[in-house]
Amino acid sequence: MSTPQAEQFERLQCQWCQSLNEKSALACGSCGAPLDVRNLVSESGWREAPRIRDMTEIHFSSSTCQVEGEIVPVAEINLSPGDAIFFEHHVMLWKDDTVPLTLMALSGGLKRAFGGMPFLISVATGPGRIAFSRDATGELVVLPLHPGMEIDVREHAFLLSSHQIQYSFVRIKGLANILFGGQGMYMDRFVTAGSPGLLILHGYGNVFERVLKAGESIMLEPGAFLYKDSSVTMDVEFQKLGTGFFGGATMSLARVTGPGRVGIQSMYVHHKTE
Amino acid sequence: MFCVNCGSRLVADGRFCTGCGAPAASGPSAPVVEPPVAAVPVAGPPPSVVRPVPQPAAPPAEVPVRATRCSWCGSPLDASATSCPGCGGKVTEMAVATRSGWLQLPGRKDMAKLQFGQSTCQIEGLYVPVADMNLAAGDSVYFAHHVLLWKDPATEVTTMPLKGAWKRMFAGMPLIMTQAAGPGHIAFSRDAPGELIAVPLHPGQSVDVREHLFLTATGNVVYDWFQTGVWFRTKNGDDTETHYPVGAFMDRFSGTGQPGLLLLHASGNVFVRNLGPGETMLVKPTALIFKDPAVEMHLHFEHPQTGFMAWGSWSNRYVWLRVVGPGRVAVQSVFEHMHGEGSYIQGFSYATERRW
Repeated sequence: MSTPQAEQFERLQCQWCQSLNEKSALACGSCGAPLDVRNLVSESGWREAPRIRDMTEIHFSSSTCQVEGEIVPVAEINLSPGDAIFFEHHVMLWKDDTVPLTLMALSGGLKRAFGGMPFLISVATGPGRIAFSRDATGELVVLPLHPGMEIDVREHAFLLSSHQIQYSFVRIKGLANILFGGQGMYMDRFVTAGSPGLLILHGYGNVFERVLKAGESIMLEPGAFLYKDSSVTMDVEFQKLGTGFFGGATMSLARVTGPGRVGIQSMYVHHKTE
Repeated sequence: MFCVNCGSRLVADGRFCTGCGAPAASGPSAPVVEPPVAAVPVAGPPPSVVRPVPQPAAPPAEVPVRATRCSWCGSPLDASATSCPGCGGKVTEMAVATRSGWLQLPGRKDMAKLQFGQSTCQIEGLYVPVADMNLAAGDSVYFAHHVLLWKDPATEVTTMPLKGAWKRMFAGMPLIMTQAAGPGHIAFSRDAPGELIAVPLHPGQSVDVREHLFLTATGNVVYDWFQTGVWFRTKNGDDTETHYPVGAFMDRFSGTGQPGLLLLHASGNVFVRNLGPGETMLVKPTALIFKDPAVEMHLHFEHPQTGFMAWGSWSNRYVWLRVVGPGRVAVQSVFEHMHGEGSYIQGFSYATERRW
């Protein structure tokens, strides 16, 4: 579980996000993962995203986030004054009517609109309470971002992010043919600058993560991709499935190459190929 | 130390378990499951049930009184019961409230049994739960379309005509309700992962339910429906479209002479709160499950502050449902996308608005 060094200082190290916690803590204060959970890794190397216990509280800046429910979890944020979070459309479940909302304009608006991405992001500022959830069964993936981290996330998978994190988007050229028929695919990119921040994603079904070594690669169903470190590269490869007769089918898979983490969801969006 | 209810490790000086919210027992092994009612006479009824508690239309008490009334539905409890016969909630479970005051639907043991009339209903499964009814002769239930999972060949199924058929057809509501009469078994489920909500209705008590969430109700529950009066109209070119964010109609179920049972199915997790008089909350319209009839609802438009010029179509960025107490409101964590939100709104029913 915790490293011998951490033991000396009576701290529990979270196996999911590596944050150090009080010895008496039951769940990680940064990402909500149960601390007594064993680091479960499947034989092929996939680690299951921690199932966050009902009603677990997570701290970021001076605000808290409570994760409620186990079928389709709700992230309930208690924003303190000066803290803010930003989010996409269609994820707000309820809010206090006193919590101010503003819109954040993003660069590349027109390109984003063609890519099917939101080009306006809403911002809620504390103090007050606001809660988020999404439209299908799944898990909340809590990713505390330490300074200098860069994460790429599948579009629309991001639920909310704290204001310390910078939000932009990147275009993945290789996936163009599969996903949008030549219009390119955009991914959200989250970067932390000076201070740590909190990023919460929603994955459909169960979420698994795997750390790829430099040069190590794995083939993914493109619809299952959820997030990756920006150091991980992703390219599409087409695989001919011969039937022994004329024709045959083409299957497209994303080749993901390390070094870095890659996260997938088990209930995936299937993109039809032509 | 570990929680006697769920087995989680307890914080040294914590008063409640962070795993399940149950109070931490003070003694090393003093389970709070049953109050020490020693030697209840076998023949006589348990004393806690005998106490007359006439409480017409009273909302369930928020502070649970252990082993006398269920914290969720207010049904009187037998001292030896481990789950509530009215709603199936675990008796050991305290009502778990979030920091902001939403109560979570009480944990239900798999195979929990509910009782109504001479019949029972067992709720099976925790992911997409099934309501498995064992109907006694003379008892009946009615149910919505497409929820019947299986039945005994002998269980009689008839139709129950509803008033206002023409209007209901236009609104896409079911024209007929189907009714099953005992004796026999019949089981119901819906096609989405979620929770089954048992709402016992005391005589005179009513509850308003958003359409398509109704699963089944006992024969003595009166079914009615009304127009929500919550709508807005958008224009796109020459097309005008009217949107009903909570549906054009809402179902109202009322308890009559004897207590009845209403079963709803919500997608995802369920949260309920009791609003005080005049207390308000903004909820996603499609997340609403049910409300007490005393709770008022209307539209609320929120205009986020923009640092740049807002053009027409951003005029109503967020369409909320504002609920005003007194009474209960329940929401589900899965909601459908709302159509028309964020487009140019031409007309609407009574609404409040906020410009930041």
